[in-house]
Amino acid sequence: MSKKTVEIPLGSQHISLLEPVRFKFECENEKIIRVDSDVGFVHRGIERACTTKFKFDTISTVVARICGLCAITHSLSYTVAIEKLLEGEISMKAKYLRILLLELDRIHSHMLCLSHTCENAGFEAMFMRIMGDRELIMEMQELVTGNRVQFDFITIGGVNRDISSVKVQELRKTLTVLTQKIEGYIEEFENNWSLSLKFKGIGALSLENAYKFNAIGPLARASGLKIDVRNEIDYLPYDKVGFKMQSRSGGDIHARNTLRLDEIRNSIEICNNILDGLPEGEIITKIKGKPLGETIVRFEAPRGELMYYVKGNGSAMLDRVRIKTPTFACIPAFSDIFVGQDYADAPAILASFDPCLSCTAK
Amino acid sequence: MLKSLFKAFINLFSKPQTIDYPLTPIEKDKQYRGLIEYSEEDCIYCLKCEKACPPGAILFVPVENPSENEKNKKALEYNYNPYLCIYCSECVSACPKPDEALWQSNIKAPIGVKSDAVNTRWFGIEKLHESRDSK
Repeated sequence: MSKKTVEIPLGSQHISLLEPVRFKFECENEKIIRVDSDVGFVHRGIERACTTKFKFDTISTVVARICGLCAITHSLSYTVAIEKLLEGEISMKAKYLRILLLELDRIHSHMLCLSHTCENAGFEAMFMRIMGDRELIMEMQELVTGNRVQFDFITIGGVNRDISSVKVQELRKTLTVLTQKIEGYIEEFENNWSLSLKFKGIGALSLENAYKFNAIGPLARASGLKIDVRNEIDYLPYDKVGFKMQSRSGGDIHARNTLRLDEIRNSIEICNNILDGLPEGEIITKIKGKPLGETIVRFEAPRGELMYYVKGNGSAMLDRVRIKTPTFACIPAFSDIFVGQDYADAPAILASFDPCLSCTAK
Repeated sequence: MLKSLFKAFINLFSKPQTIDYPLTPIEKDKQYRGLIEYSEEDCIYCLKCEKACPPGAILFVPVENPSENEKNKKALEYNYNPYLCIYCSECVSACPKPDEALWQSNIKAPIGVKSDAVNTRWFGIEKLHESRDSK
């Protein structure tokens, strides 16, 4: 730090943060010239607990508690890893129900991010609107799984709750209402003058830098880097439910917001397709045995690629559970984006990354 | 821009989006997750629910005057901690007689107050459980 610069901390407790993270900005007048970050404030030792305290068949409920927003992706990744080790095949209906929940989860997570970005940019009315409408998704999740946040819906061998035709009708109705609301947001985000002032051209990540800093998830796709794990995996039939890769160019906050809205639209389409063509069959198949060997499973969480490494030794206790979360992989890119921006824009930029620190520190 | 201003103005006169909770009751679906309920008469004491429970909220401990269930050969008693339960219903899916011996209701746990001595009672049960395992 030279005499001309000022060091301003953001976090670990700050009014604009949802979760504890600390950024130290070195500023020259209003401009940020260097960033230092620390993410380890919510470490709970979950990886260690998975190998010492819990047996392998109960861990899917443990890892679900890493994060409230992508609970379903965590438990799904772990469950698929165990199914791969035990060489069990699950029914098509269970696979479709898993995608349904995964996409509902993505919609509500993206809506939370959008509302929070609006709030940090000073547009609180929009924050209230989006959070109010997000409740529709929460109710849908509660209807399908029985819980609002921690679903415990996915078990080894399938899912543990079936969906009745009455519920399918209700979900369809809510999805129609939600589609109209999303169209309204798209118009607002594209045309609203004050939102444009805060979002357009601010916090941009170029395609080159997205490659260089290994950006993933919506952050990379908003810069034009077309990577999405849903396009690459074969454990879930994403190619049959109408998944389309979304991408935007520009890489600024506006591009990230509109990309999230595009993804929500696509997710709603996927949910509708699933409800239309839900196959008949059992929702759960018994899988027996103890995991032996090692495996890697990747899934697209709302924030990017989530990777699970599981190693079993043939007993009920696992040897190793390693979780690589999307936010952790994006931190170099985050730090790069801040450089050259105004300090006053930092909260809005940070919210547009949609960082999940409880995932990162676990 | 004008549209959103117009919408904001309309919103001034519309109903709030929230539910007026104590006055308007919240509708509960039958399948919402809640406390686990147990019937002693139908239990066969296989202890599968105890093994399946992730947080260890179901414990069978030895007692001096057990119930008159003939399946209860080891003189055990079912103990359930509603405050530890995560409502995952793994116990119900592990149970050989679901809906008879063990099922899930949609009622949430009552508020735990200090005078109930929830923790002290439960720690005692955990100790008894450990002694059962060591035997």
